[in-house]
Amino acid sequence: MLEVSAIWTAHVQQQNYRALLDAISHPGRVKSILHQQGGLASLAVLATLLDAEVSLADPDDLLEAEDWPLLQASAAAPGEADYILCRGNRAARFQPKLGSLPSPERSATLIIYVDSLHRGELKLSLKGPGVNGNADCSIAGLDPDWIRRREEWVCGYPLGVDLLLVDDSAVLALPRTTKVEVA
Amino acid sequence: MILAQQFGFLDEYAKKEIRRTSLKAVAIPGYQVPYSSREMPMGRGFGTGGLQLTLALIGAGEVLKVIDQGSDDSVNAVNLRSFIEMTCPGVGTTRVTGEADLIQSRHRIPEKPLREDQLLVLQVPYPDPLVVVEASEEKRKQLHGEADYSRLLVKLYEDIVKFDEITISHRYPTRINDHYVIDPSPIPRWDVPKLHMSKALVLLGAGREKKIYAVPPYTKAEPLAFEDKPFRVEAFLDEQGRRRACARCGCDNSFLDEYVDSNSGEQVYRCSDADWCDEQLARQTAAEVIYG
Repeated sequence: MLEVSAIWTAHVQQQNYRALLDAISHPGRVKSILHQQGGLASLAVLATLLDAEVSLADPDDLLEAEDWPLLQASAAAPGEADYILCRGNRAARFQPKLGSLPSPERSATLIIYVDSLHRGELKLSLKGPGVNGNADCSIAGLDPDWIRRREEWVCGYPLGVDLLLVDDSAVLALPRTTKVEVA
Repeated sequence: MILAQQFGFLDEYAKKEIRRTSLKAVAIPGYQVPYSSREMPMGRGFGTGGLQLTLALIGAGEVLKVIDQGSDDSVNAVNLRSFIEMTCPGVGTTRVTGEADLIQSRHRIPEKPLREDQLLVLQVPYPDPLVVVEASEEKRKQLHGEADYSRLLVKLYEDIVKFDEITISHRYPTRINDHYVIDPSPIPRWDVPKLHMSKALVLLGAGREKKIYAVPPYTKAEPLAFEDKPFRVEAFLDEQGRRRACARCGCDNSFLDEYVDSNSGEQVYRCSDADWCDEQLARQTAAEVIYG
């Protein structure tokens, strides 16, 4: 009998989707992700969103070979992928797709693996849709260069990218509309 | 009985697509994100866009409210609610706005202010406000991208020239986060200000037109207007210029429906939001018990 982790089941994916929806509706809010014991929460995020209709890039080789058939997504270079999984502690080395003026949704969603979303050296102050006034967050394991690169990617709104920062157990979203200041 | 279909009727691939689409919709407030919109066991135009969103969103243990024109007992609401009850075992339903986790609605936003932990799904027949001034979707997408709504403003101006005011009664074009203008679905003007800085996320689904869009919480939603012709909501004034009240509960700050009394032939006004009306009535009854 084939045994798969609960992250591939419909019930868990529904709950993880709602966590993602809540996270992207409230930038800066840290939402728990149901994930496999000892596994990556980022894999649970990918399991929730991906299927054969979309492409994925894994430039930092964070995935195991056996994850790919379950994700069903086609492999793509970071410049062309719909979803990009990468490490936060290394500066961005690629140019993700930003969408076009008539179709800004044809842009990449970045799932960035960081050490912690609760405490860290990088202090950010957030403003924009979904944020009631101001939101503060502190992140460990995110190279500040990501924030600078993100500025370049999102400056031509509605073009841009949406960031999902994921640590071992939770997610925090920075959609393209969020104004981020390094405190 | 063994259920012949899985939880939520839709297959998991359909749900995933709707989920990906809705996340993009929240990330690009007001932008109509295209999606494939599956066949549902009811005609397109009967709320299939809202229904597909609800089915992709909802999980066991959650409580749902379905409303049609403010009422939980109208035919569209009854049918959608019973379909969801049948296909989503473990989901509870309610008529009370405050008890619902998810609210699917046709043509109204509840009077009771929604909370941050609630989510509103609106059924949309015509998602694109630019369709009245531009027939080509390709061109409309370009205009939306550039936030070029000059032709829509001219249309509103023509209204002012002809009628001395903007005559749009529902589906009032509303600008989200200073960029995209949306059709907020056929809600009356009365409900439009509720979108502005709403605590709850609002998702809009157009099944026939295959679009999903969103107004995220704490986001600007401004009805298009002119400096010297500001946006205004329905006044509900009687001949003497007094605000009409609901004939049932006496509330004078809700959206009213107009009925004709079949016996006397008189016009009667009542709250459109059935749960709001019940709540006002219950509050009065409680007050009467206390104060005599």
